[in-house]
Amino acid sequence: MTATVEAAPRGGARRTSPKPAKRGPGAARRHLTPWMMLAPGIILFALFMAAPILYTFVLSFQSEVVQGLGLGSGARTREFVGFDNYLASLSDPEFLASVGRVLLYGLILVPTMLGLALLFALLLDARRTGAKGFSRVSIFLPYAVPAVISSLLWGFLYLPAVSPFYWIFERLGWDVPSMLSPGLVVFAIANIGLWGGVGFNMIVMYTSLKAVPSEIYEAARIDGASEVQIAWRIKVPIIMPALVMTALFSMIATLQVFAEPTTLRPLTNSLSTSWSPLMLVYRDAFTRDDIYSAAATSVIIALATFAISFIFLRVVQRRAFGQED
Amino acid sequence: MTVTTETRAAVLHDVDAASARRAGRTGRGSNGGDQRVPVAVGSTAVLLLGALYCLLPVAWVLIASTKDASELFSTFTFAPSTHLWDNIVALTEYRDGLYWRWMLNTALYAGVGAIISTYVSALSGYALAKYTFPGKGVVFKVLLMGVLVPGVILAIPQYLLLAQAGLTNTYWSVLLPQLISPYGIYLARIYAAAAVPTDIIESARTEGARELYIFHRIALPMMGPGLVTIFLFQFVAVWNNFMLPYIMLGNDELFPITVGLSGLLNQGASLPAMYTLVITGALLSVVPLIALFLVLQRYWRVDLAAGAVKA
Amino acid sequence: MRAAFRTGAVATLAAAALIMTGCSADTGSEGTADDPIELTYWAWAPNLDKVVDLWNDEHPEIQVTVNKQDGGDPAITKLLTAIKAGSGAPDLIQAEYQKIPTLVSSDALADLSDAGASDLADQFSDGTWDSVTLGGDAVYAIPQDTGPMMFFYRDDIFQQLGLSVPTTWDEYAAVARALHAADPSKYLGTFSANDAGWFAGLAQQAKSEWWSIDGEAWGVGIDEEPTQRVAEYWGGLVQEGVIDNKPMYTPEWNAGLNDGTQVGWLGAVWGPGVLSGNAADTAGLWKAATLPTWGGDASNGNWGGSSTAVTSQSKNVEAAVEFATWLNTDPDAVQALVTETGIYPASTDAAASSLTEAPEFFSNQADFYDVAADAAASVAPFQYGPNVNVAFSAYNDEFAKAAEAKTVDAFLAAVTAMQQVTVDDLESSGFTVAD
Repeated sequence: MTATVEAAPRGGARRTSPKPAKRGPGAARRHLTPWMMLAPGIILFALFMAAPILYTFVLSFQSEVVQGLGLGSGARTREFVGFDNYLASLSDPEFLASVGRVLLYGLILVPTMLGLALLFALLLDARRTGAKGFSRVSIFLPYAVPAVISSLLWGFLYLPAVSPFYWIFERLGWDVPSMLSPGLVVFAIANIGLWGGVGFNMIVMYTSLKAVPSEIYEAARIDGASEVQIAWRIKVPIIMPALVMTALFSMIATLQVFAEPTTLRPLTNSLSTSWSPLMLVYRDAFTRDDIYSAAATSVIIALATFAISFIFLRVVQRRAFGQED
Repeated sequence: MTVTTETRAAVLHDVDAASARRAGRTGRGSNGGDQRVPVAVGSTAVLLLGALYCLLPVAWVLIASTKDASELFSTFTFAPSTHLWDNIVALTEYRDGLYWRWMLNTALYAGVGAIISTYVSALSGYALAKYTFPGKGVVFKVLLMGVLVPGVILAIPQYLLLAQAGLTNTYWSVLLPQLISPYGIYLARIYAAAAVPTDIIESARTEGARELYIFHRIALPMMGPGLVTIFLFQFVAVWNNFMLPYIMLGNDELFPITVGLSGLLNQGASLPAMYTLVITGALLSVVPLIALFLVLQRYWRVDLAAGAVKA
Repeated sequence: MRAAFRTGAVATLAAAALIMTGCSADTGSEGTADDPIELTYWAWAPNLDKVVDLWNDEHPEIQVTVNKQDGGDPAITKLLTAIKAGSGAPDLIQAEYQKIPTLVSSDALADLSDAGASDLADQFSDGTWDSVTLGGDAVYAIPQDTGPMMFFYRDDIFQQLGLSVPTTWDEYAAVARALHAADPSKYLGTFSANDAGWFAGLAQQAKSEWWSIDGEAWGVGIDEEPTQRVAEYWGGLVQEGVIDNKPMYTPEWNAGLNDGTQVGWLGAVWGPGVLSGNAADTAGLWKAATLPTWGGDASNGNWGGSSTAVTSQSKNVEAAVEFATWLNTDPDAVQALVTETGIYPASTDAAASSLTEAPEFFSNQADFYDVAADAAASVAPFQYGPNVNVAFSAYNDEFAKAAEAKTVDAFLAAVTAMQQVTVDDLESSGFTVAD
């Protein structure tokens, strides 16, 4: 796939552009056609993404103020408060703590997940590995399980009283601390993310590997390179763009972790209602009924995601989104 | 993390062993070029360990769904029982078959939603890949930024805006916002660029074919496998999106599976959580999804990075 | 060009669907059998639709549709969002008592006093009626059920170990120690940091005043003697290790109910439903008693209980009140509520006549509802405030830390933090808070 893509678009965009001029009335239509084709996408985007985002911005600069006892109608008024909500969010120790936890979670999850996904993808691509079809489907399977459900399953497997693992540990006489104890709960959540995500990333990398013509490896083999050397020196560099993209999307997903800790929270004393930044947003918006603070925190999270993605791509390489236009 | 640590340890061990073996071998690989190479035990074992890790929780659901409520909490968790059918019957009887209604709703939200979304993405992606027009770069970049905005954040303003139109608590409220997929457009653009040769478009034009005719009759079939991927992506995204239906819907006859099952778990203090129903329901709901994946997996192409390579 | 038009149509369809407002409000206030008033009702009590069917059969002019909700919190969350959005709220909603001040302060509820609800006061106990009027002239809801707290224990294990049923908290602590000493895997109960309503009930029993109305200002009294006493008591038991520190309603807790490691449970009158759902095989092994008291002072708290409220977006308040009155005070309706949904009715007369036979799970205890009546009779008054959700989520976070730390000091610190968070939230919202 990689090879084909390199060739196609070059011809694609370039060659069409000089032609329309010659075709008179067709040219105007040709100019309109892409916009007509984009219209459904743009309209849907405007209605269901751009408008809500703008609305979030508007809300983030407002606040609702109550008078006296605040009972009865008309006790609440909405007012413009400038950057107050932003300042409150940024100086809120709970918010900062949740950011810290999520960074730790990402540091655990992203390298583990991508490392294992790469290992599995390389093994699937290696000639001498067996049981490929079965393994590929099995490892990919968890991707089909919604996070709410997978967290419930793992919750059962984490709780010593109902977990088969702890049953075995107990028989073996091992004293294994609960996965949901305060020190380990971040690993427990990362494990759910790993379980659900490793297969997807493996498939992404595997697809990239499949696209590499095998003649490249043959030459290396003739030169005496081992399979491990081929994997590290040839395969990994070739699929580097795929690694960059999976890393980027994994990082974005990490910052947005919400369903797993929310589902596990009632099972343990180790998770607070503000464990991750999005849980904090949810709590502010729904439990505390303060959509204005929630909006400001949302904007901060979105901007941070933006900045991190941007910096990541700049640092890693310019190949990723670069030179699109 | 128990399983993971085990897997990782095994993985490391295996890699060491493998490299040691290979280091010991000198000169040309004895198996170079041979198609029927012997299976390596180490690397196969690593893959199988990975598979085991992914299948264990699934096996647990399978077994747990055969237990009745008190067995679930009192017997060894990997010992199966005989109540699977009873559980399915109980699930079916719950509020006159509401569970199956949830299944149908999910099929509607995820299935129909993903089909329309794929079509919209294909149109946009094709337009962005195959036409040159002013503003193209800006449009693409703005759409792409949508990838970065979390769904949880969008759900509240989406609710407030849809409420203005009186559409909350309807099928539309869950279906419409999920028809747009910036990620799908991003992928469609890559597939269109890669799979649809410009020469063919040009020759069709020379023969007088209209632009949309070219798109529907020539480009769409060529983008087929890529579109399957976008469809599956969007299907899973809708299927996984808990927050939007959770906020939008007040009537449980409109719920998708995830929101419905979560409701059975969190019924408030005065009612017991219906664990057996939830576990059986989770199992049954994943089955059609797995079937869908198995059927469509040969078309599966996730070239996330393909677009990145071209420069 | 037809194809192009079609694409355009697809695009505009989405826009049109948005622009079209689904406004079809009932204009007439009187319903007829041909053109009935349609009411929607968000509720989470199981099988409530079957009770409502009785009404619909008898009243063709007012037809009620129940939309089953996931539970008290999600329903209120959705209602508040709908109120903010200006549309989308149902006519009627099942609202827990602790949610009423929040809903009133968000202008989500209609005042029912003009629609005849004030006449119902004598059907309910004073404490219950106060919680739907907030002590004023307005009536914000009609009480449906209450949740007087009760103590459930495994009679078989108590007899086996020769333990007697505790009547005071001192005795409860002694029994907890004796039980845990006899079998270290067993606990008389657990301190659940996940159930703020449960802790509020215990604080209510100790006569705490978490919120109070002081003229035109809210008073917050969480970090005061009664609640501190309760927290210190439980912190002590957790610190000693004779009471479990894990949340209730987890698979682990369910396993404990089944295998006899959770020997007691401080629940409420609706407890039989929870126990039979989670540990059906232990039917007949449990008994119910009134909550242990503080030094013999007969006082109790509520955990749960709810009312039927009419939302401020309803266009048919009178019809809604007519229905809600029937649902919660008509003897046939209350009887149906008891049999179908298993609630403990708030209406005192109706409760006496409809609760005759013990629930099936407690068929070994014929006087179950006599015990329940005692428990209900001694419920102390308790005022909730406009930010109960904030205080409750602070409870979750702070007491989770304390339960994990397992020290008395941590429990007391959690009470202080709860007070702080609650007051800060009131002040930052602009409420007047008394010192």
